[in-house]
Formats: sequence, C-alpha cells, structure tokens
Amino acid sequence: MDAVWIIITGFLVASSTGMLGNLLLLRKMSMMGDALSHAVLPGIVIAYLISGSRASLPLLLGAIIMGVLTTFLIQFFSSKGKMQGDAAMGTIFTFLFAVGVILVTKFAGQADIDADCVLHGELAFVPLQQSTYLGFSAPNAVWTLAALFIFIQGVFWAGYKGWILTSFNPEYAKSVGIRTALWHYALMAATSVATVVSFESVGAILVIAFLVVPAATAYLLTKDLRWMVALIILQGLLSSVGGYFLSDFLEASISGSMAVVSFILFAAAFLLKKKEG
Amino acid sequence: MDLLLKYLSLEDPNVRYVVIAIVLLGGMSGTVGSFNFLRKKTLVGETVAHSMLPGVLIAFLLSGVKNPAVMILGAAISGWMSIWVVDYITQQSKIKGDSALAIVLSSFFGLGIVLLTMIQSRYTGNQSGLDHYIFGNAAAMTPEDSVAFAIVSLVVLGLIIASYWSIKAIIFNPDYAQSIGISRRKTDTLISIITILTISVGIKAVGIVMMSALLIIPPTAARFWTDRLIPMLVISGIFGSLGGWIGAFVSYSQTNMPTGPWTIVSVSIIAFISMLFAPKKGIVYQRWNKLQLRRRINEENLLKAAVQSEVRGKGKLFTRATINERQFFESKLWNRTIGRLTNKGFVRKVHGGYTLSSSGRNYGADIDRRHKIWEVYLQRRMQMSVHLVHDEAETMEHFLTPEIEGEILRELGLCSRFNPLLEIHEIIPDPDLA
Repeated sequence: MDAVWIIITGFLVASSTGMLGNLLLLRKMSMMGDALSHAVLPGIVIAYLISGSRASLPLLLGAIIMGVLTTFLIQFFSSKGKMQGDAAMGTIFTFLFAVGVILVTKFAGQADIDADCVLHGELAFVPLQQSTYLGFSAPNAVWTLAALFIFIQGVFWAGYKGWILTSFNPEYAKSVGIRTALWHYALMAATSVATVVSFESVGAILVIAFLVVPAATAYLLTKDLRWMVALIILQGLLSSVGGYFLSDFLEASISGSMAVVSFILFAAAFLLKKKEG
Repeated sequence: MDLLLKYLSLEDPNVRYVVIAIVLLGGMSGTVGSFNFLRKKTLVGETVAHSMLPGVLIAFLLSGVKNPAVMILGAAISGWMSIWVVDYITQQSKIKGDSALAIVLSSFFGLGIVLLTMIQSRYTGNQSGLDHYIFGNAAAMTPEDSVAFAIVSLVVLGLIIASYWSIKAIIFNPDYAQSIGISRRKTDTLISIITILTISVGIKAVGIVMMSALLIIPPTAARFWTDRLIPMLVISGIFGSLGGWIGAFVSYSQTNMPTGPWTIVSVSIIAFISMLFAPKKGIVYQRWNKLQLRRRINEENLLKAAVQSEVRGKGKLFTRATINERQFFESKLWNRTIGRLTNKGFVRKVHGGYTLSSSGRNYGADIDRRHKIWEVYLQRRMQMSVHLVHDEAETMEHFLTPEIEGEILRELGLCSRFNPLLEIHEIIPDPDLA
C-alpha cells in the first residue's frame, strides 16, 4: 500500500504543477520553480521563528507569502528597475536564499530547523503520517495534495483562456482592456501555492522537474490544449510509477528517480519528434 | 575598528586564505558572468552549477577517493554536458532556452540525488563531505584553494584577453561577426569553457546557489553604471571582489556567520544601490529627470498660452481663468507652475493677476512658433492631415532645438524665423497646404 500512496503523491504533484508549468512554458518563465524553491527559505525560517513550532501550516503560510512576494519583487525589479528579466529573477532568488541561510545559521542554536525541513521533503516518508476523513484513511500528504489538485484544476480551467491570451498576445490583450498584470500575478500566486505545498511532500528538485518536464514533453507532441493537459497528466503518472520502481531497484531517492524517469520520457518524445521533423 | 585593521592587515593566516580566495573568486565570477549576462543567458550558471552534482559523484564512484582534482574534473565534465544538452534541445526543438535550462537543471540534479542516495546506502565511512562539493564550505578553504583560484583566474583572464575581439563581436553583432569570419560556435564554446572553469573551482568553496549568484548579481549591478564592455567587465569584477571582501569580513567579525551567504547579501546590496542611485540608469535619477521634464513642459505650456492670449488682444493681464480657456491647469498645478515661473523671472505678479516679462514673452513665443513650424512641416513634408498635426506639435514644441528649427525652416523654404506666415496660428487649414 505504501507504494501506491507514494505513486499517488508523485502523480498529484506532477499533474498540479504540470498544468501551471504549461502556462509558465508559454510565458518563458520555466525557471520560476527553481527560483521559488530557493526564495521561500527566509519565509519558512521567519514563520518558524514567529510560530515557534515546526507544524507545517505556519511554515507553509510563510513560504507562500514569501513566494508571492518574490514574484512581486522580480516584476518590480524588471519593470521599474529596468533589470534584464532573467537577471532580476536570478538576483532576487539568490539574495533571498542567502538571507534564508544566514537566518538558519544565526538561529540554528535555538532551533532545530534547517533547509531540509521543508524544501527537501522525501517521498519515502509520505505514508508515515495518516489521517482519516470521510471514513477513508490516507496519508496527510495525499489529502493536502488532492486538495491542491482540485484547486489547481479549478484555477486552470477557470482562467486558461485569459492566460493563453495574455501569454500569446499581451499587446492585443491590453488593447481590448484585459488586465495583463492581474493575470500575471494570479498565475504567479497559483504557482507559489502549488510549488510550496508540493515541496513539503516531494522535495524541491522533483517540483522543479514536474513544473517543466511533463509540460515540455506535451508541448513537443501536440498543439491542442486538451491533448496537452492529457499528456501532462499521463507523463506525470508514468514518471511516478517508473520512478518508484527505479528507486526500489537502485535503493535510491524516490524523488530523484522520478525526476530522472520524467526526463527519460521527455528525451523519448524529443527523439521521436526529431526523427519525424 | 581594531578588528577591521586586523582584518585589513591579513595577519591571521586563516583569514588570509579565505579573503584572498573569495576576492579572487568574486572578481573572476563577476567578469565571467558578464558574458552570460550580455548574451541574456544569465541563469546558465545556475543550471551548470546544479548539473555538476552527478559528475562529482561519478568521479568519486570511479576513483573511490575524494581527490579534489578528480572531483573538479568530474564536475567540469558534467557541467559541460549540461550546456551541450541545453543547446541541443533549443536548437533541435521548439523548446525555448529557459525551459531547456530548467529541464536540464532538474534532471541532472535529480540524477545527482539518485547517485548520492545510492552511495549513501552502499558505502559507509569515506563518503562524508561529498556534499561540500555542492553546498560549499568556505570556512574550510585551504592555501591550495587560493592557489587554485589564482591559477584559474589567470587562465580565464588570459582567455578573455586573447579572444576579446571575437567575444565582443559575437555578443553585440553576431551576424556581422560571422560574416567577417568569426566562428560563433568557437566563441560560444570559449564562453562556456570559462564559465565551467569558474564554477567548477568555486562550487566547493561557496556552493551551488552562491556560485550562480556570483555569476548573476555583479554583472546585473555593473550594467547600471556603464554601456561599454570593458568598463562593464571591470566594474562587475570589482563588485564581485568587493562583495566577497565584505562577506568575509562579516563572517570574520561576527560569530557563526557564513562567508558565502554574506558575500551574496553584500553584492545584492551593491546591486540594489546601483539600481536606485546609479547615474543615468538608476531609478532615482530617472524619476528626477522625468519630474524635471514634466515641470518644464507645464511651464512652457503656460507661457505659450499667455503669449497666445496676448496676441489675440485679450490684454496683458492673465489669470488661471483666462489661461484655462486655452490650456487647462488644475489649481494646485497652476500654483506650483506659476510660482516657479515667477521665481525664474518669466512672469510678474501684478494686481489682479499676472503679466509676462519680456524674457517670458520671448520664451512663450519661441514655443508657439515651434508648434506652428512643426505643424507646417508635418503637412507639407509628411503629408499629414490637418486634423492630426496639432496634437503631434503639442509634444514636439517642447523638444525642437534652435538648430533643428533652422533646418526645418530651410527645408520648408522659409528664410526667417519671423515669417509672417508663422505669426498667425490660424494658418491651418490653408488651402495651399492641405
């Protein structure tokens, strides 16, 4: 049963982040996952210092607030400060990460908190903590991620038209009175929530991978949005199943293995397309 | 203060090595990072740095020892592969650069995590400290590290100087560069080589994120100060070194403060200061400039309106109400603008309103004339419709210099600035021109 829970967890993360990753890919913001995974660290530490506990809810809130703040800062630096877009992102997230590391070192004496605490979640531990809702027992992570999955599905289908329009043709969107900045921040907020919630269960590296690799695979194979979503979900499922068995075989990290399998699927699609084209 | 002097004198051997190493590393990364920054591939360092993990681990697995030279070689090879895969993906598919960077970063690092956990579940004992190659350990820097940094800095500097012209040409004008026989591929390879060299020696000291930060932030900061390549390389290098120097000092003077992160915070602060206060490109300067421009335009509009109402025989006295017939001024704006004009002597306050001084009248007439000249020019030379020219001229009147004005008059065949044609605003529509 543990195996099933772990695979379900991986799958839920892949399909939630993958849907958003699809939009990030169109907006050339795929490095956002990497940026957020580093930038939220000070938020986590500050939340810990304020709440005084390692309970996940306050830390999660701290991380989400920091994530949204990060996206605001990046936008501010690139539009008002005229920094080159990728440089603004690089400057902000490395700066915030450094602040986070300093806070961790400074308060390490009075607190057992480290960067691993939230960022480097490990899938193997997912089945350990379970709770029962509606007469059904499942790991906490699965409950949380299922809620996230439903939330992201709702957000995606409610907003995809606006996002697609503002991604492909921002000038036109602006001219017909669509508030592009608002859509941008909504996507960034959703991305912050999805990534941070997922970090805790599967670790940063798998979130970064699932945010871009399934979306890129689908993007190579089809142009139709519905097919793209279907392929993203399928690629997430295959990566989770394959990754679990690979890790079992190698006795290695489950998250790392899922990331590797996801890349192998991408490489397969890439070679297939290359042969055709 | 004593602490600072002691730090400056570098008499403590432990401090000496850390400071020399981090200053060298900061300077080298700042310079090398500028090339990636200018090619809009700022985040390449982030991907390369993460992608070195599997190389380090494979080097350890193959050699079975933690020999720094072997590890660095492994790191460099897998860093090289990551750049190759990124380029291959972007060239051979419709995937864009940023996505390729994220794909390669996550999969190489994921592979690294797999290898690391495999090693941890199989070996015991001698694998500890492997993660220093990735997460950095500046405090453990040895004299050998300083020597290694110095050698690599010299090599990198030599490569940059030797191929400065081709790098410059490829960065700023790739098409032209290729047409005169500079190989883009060779130059790209060279930039990749110096990037990988820098990261692979630096990563053990400061870790992945700090290493990529040192490549990203100093050029970002330097860009606010200059538009030229050599100053940019130098300033970026200086910022990197300065950040390292300050970072090492904070770490030295406070207990339990890590050097790497403080270096990043220091260069970030330099970048924030640059963004705010750099001359010409800083936010403060630009805001100030914009404000000055807005003020000048308001002043000129007011003077022009006053002159126009004088010309129309409305009398020399004007108030906000009479000016508002031609140009609307909201009361606060009116007070501020008229105040500045009075101070500058263009306007005199008299009983019941204001009058123009002779300099104010001349200034206002200049603006009015430029407006008309531009309207005539747009109609005659640009074939623009009568209805459109006024709005265009409303803007241009503030930017025409006497030299351009002369040119336009010559072009239009009007010999004098005081052509009677231009003295009447109602020149438009003129059947002759339309």
